[in-house]
Amino acid sequence: MHLDYRLNEDTETDWSSVTEEDLRYRVALGNLLFHVGDKDFSADWGWIPLVDLAASFAEIVRKLEGGSPSETFEFTESDAWVRFQKKGEKVLVSSSYGEGVAEIALHSVSAAVKSFRERLRSELDRRHPQAAHNQAVRKLLGAA
Amino acid sequence: MNLRLITALLLAFGLWLTADLSIAQSAGYGQVQTGTDQVTLTRWALQHIMARHWPDSTATGAGKFQAGITEASLRDMINEAVHNGRARRNTHGRSGTIYEYDFQRQIGTTIDGGPASRLRVVVSNRNEVITAFPF
Repeated sequence: MHLDYRLNEDTETDWSSVTEEDLRYRVALGNLLFHVGDKDFSADWGWIPLVDLAASFAEIVRKLEGGSPSETFEFTESDAWVRFQKKGEKVLVSSSYGEGVAEIALHSVSAAVKSFRERLRSELDRRHPQAAHNQAVRKLLGAA
Repeated sequence: MNLRLITALLLAFGLWLTADLSIAQSAGYGQVQTGTDQVTLTRWALQHIMARHWPDSTATGAGKFQAGITEASLRDMINEAVHNGRARRNTHGRSGTIYEYDFQRQIGTTIDGGPASRLRVVVSNRNEVITAFPF
């Protein structure tokens, strides 16, 4: 499973005052790179709020690990979605915009999402040092 | 009470009315009446929506409003969707409420370019519109 992102350049955001709503909808935008096996669920729309996606995917993993049979991630600016359906210890991944269904172990999804969050947090901290001290960033991506 | 005093009182009352009306007008900008509640469409939210969902927006993977959409007609559609649409909690830790309403006519295009008749409106816990788009 390959879960990665491309973060847009951003020189306008004041990262000291960014709110959770900003992170959920308006800042740290970019593309999703998401492959499971030979299935491609990437979305190169450029407007995807990546901190929101990282936090939402982490929430989805928590729910699946907690026994939820199915969780669906909804993109913020369209009705597109990515669905995670549990099948024993595995997860079936599908989307509204990509073809096919992929199967992967839940622990692999969990590890990939954790890595995604950590890499995104590191890159944001590097690009925007004030992000490291922002409460909303810490809440959604975890403390460094 | 002499005529001058009455005139002065009427003038003062008129000025008070005018001042009150202007406050209502300025506060009313962008507000969408929803019965007892109202949601606010701020300038920021409007710009957010226009950048992604206006007919001339180049954003990919996002539904677009039909040509001819105006700020006023957007407000009307948001009003109708919030008033009559299906409401549900926002998902996966996002705060606020999602309203979805089917207008039974084309209001825009889907991300695939097909006709869209439904509107999704995301409203914050402060009753401010965050985003709205056809699907």
